[in-house]
Amino acid sequence: MLSQDNFVRLSEFVWEIPRTYRDDMRVPARLYADEELLNAALSDNSIVQLINTSTLPGIVQHAIAMPDIHQGYGFPIGGVVATRLPPGVISPGGVGYDINCGVRLLASRTTVEEIRPFLEEIAVALYANCPSGVGARGCLLLTTTELDEVLHAGSRWMLGRGYARKEDLDRTEEFGRISGANASYVSQHAHERGRNQLGTLGAGNHFIEIDRVAEVYDQTIAARLGIYPDNVAVQIHCGSRGLGHQICEDYVSRFQKTAHDYGITLPDRELVCVPFDSQEGQEYFRAMACAANFAFANRQLLAHSIRQSFEQVLAGRIKDFDLCQVYDVAHNMAKIEEHEIDGQRLQLCVHRKGATRAFGPKSAALPADLQDIGQPVLIPGSMGTASYVLIGTSKAMQQTFGSTCHGAGRVMSRAKAKRMVRGAELRQQLKSRGILICAGSMSGLAEEAPAAYKDVSQVVEVVVRAGIANRIARLEPVAVIKG
Amino acid sequence: MDLQRNLRPVMGSEEVEHTADRAFRVRGRDLAELLENAAHAMVALDGEPPDSERFIRRVVEVGGSDRETLLVNWLNEILYLEQTHREFYDHFLLSNVTENHLRAQLYGRQLNRSVTSVKAATFHNLEVRGTSEGLEATVVVDV
Repeated sequence: MLSQDNFVRLSEFVWEIPRTYRDDMRVPARLYADEELLNAALSDNSIVQLINTSTLPGIVQHAIAMPDIHQGYGFPIGGVVATRLPPGVISPGGVGYDINCGVRLLASRTTVEEIRPFLEEIAVALYANCPSGVGARGCLLLTTTELDEVLHAGSRWMLGRGYARKEDLDRTEEFGRISGANASYVSQHAHERGRNQLGTLGAGNHFIEIDRVAEVYDQTIAARLGIYPDNVAVQIHCGSRGLGHQICEDYVSRFQKTAHDYGITLPDRELVCVPFDSQEGQEYFRAMACAANFAFANRQLLAHSIRQSFEQVLAGRIKDFDLCQVYDVAHNMAKIEEHEIDGQRLQLCVHRKGATRAFGPKSAALPADLQDIGQPVLIPGSMGTASYVLIGTSKAMQQTFGSTCHGAGRVMSRAKAKRMVRGAELRQQLKSRGILICAGSMSGLAEEAPAAYKDVSQVVEVVVRAGIANRIARLEPVAVIKG
Repeated sequence: MDLQRNLRPVMGSEEVEHTADRAFRVRGRDLAELLENAAHAMVALDGEPPDSERFIRRVVEVGGSDRETLLVNWLNEILYLEQTHREFYDHFLLSNVTENHLRAQLYGRQLNRSVTSVKAATFHNLEVRGTSEGLEATVVVDV
């Protein structure tokens, strides 16, 4: 049974399990947390899952978990693992089923008070225009050729069809397109699941949220990002839908045998992996890139539908209701990146499973206008609580492969949340606090009750005080559209 | 075959606590019964679906490199069919079950929308274990 005694406290917010804790560990395992969050992580199997990731072949430095760590399957949610290429591995389970699940933030020059009289109309329009639910179908029914174009081009496909602005792509991780995608490695099942799901939200913890910018911590950087106090902001949280789920399923299943063929043994079958440079590793990476591009395109089409919904309701009533993109981040992804390890620049496969890229200033991966400030990082809170806009730091580049947390992190099971909370009552409680909820499922709403999550402000406090992100702004919800 | 709704409490299975996702423990006297009970346990996670009189039947064949892979592939095939065709299944008739292959008839209903909240069945700590009464496994599903 793991306890706090198994950790070495390296600094106020960094705890380490030494490599000697278990024979199969290849590197130490590190957790960013305060004492309370560490103890929360010890209440389920999160830390065992973190230790398991330290056994992956080719892993460098340490397996990392963020303060929003919670129990997942294979990797813990909030996990970061980098493997050296070659001969390091890529693990489909280290990315997860919702490949490129992520967050997009749009911001307006209009204040929340100006749109408040029309808020319910906007929420209803968003609910109608942004289909939700696991199997929901969107407004675009693509041919196989068109779908493959999306899988290769991501948000760029949307730009060509008038669903995106050039500035949207500039403010998207990887500019809205991961290179290396090859749709011939995407199964027929995955094609069929994705064909009509572009522009849909999905279910679970996915949402669209209208927020008020409640507090700005760094006015200069916030203004550079188009964020001003009291103004309207809109968050989109979703991913690659059924297409991504199927790609992960296909490769996790296939690699059960392949990993054995490569002589790889692991403590959990969900961690299954193959050498990145192998034929099988390349096929997964290219299929994963397709799902990532699909997710970028999906959030882009949702952003377009949100802009249309605002126009539908506010045209002729409010002067400037336009929504500009602040940024779009992925938090379930494997990326090929260069990082400095012990004075050497190395090519790594960085797995972020429920963790966000948080590159500091001067990173070549950022657009020119963000080079001097670093990458915006979007941290959604639980339903009805705050969300944060952070910015990446040089210290994150040194300590966490340019990564930080991704959200609040669950502490209560979905089954328990449903036993303790009634969805209809929760909706009423939130309404009394000025937060409108549109949800397709009351039981789904109960599963996402704020009580089921950690305090996002506490999580953000840890990453800021640990130096792996800086705080820019806090957002408070006024309307939530749930899958 | 009786095609009336078959949403009885699932015998041979129970839901297990999981922080972020959902999990169920399933048992069977043999592999065929374990696979059938696992299918019932998974669809039961979403409760009762909306009414529909449009009955459907599908036949599937599923393979896997071992019985755990067969179990995961079987559950994921059901999810694929439910989500792409907007269907809900409540009877599973399995035949020709080996450790690497199964054939099954799925009976259920066509719906106006997909009702499943499950994205995928996972291999997380998955092991089909022998017990004094047959077989047992705990399946974690991503939601």
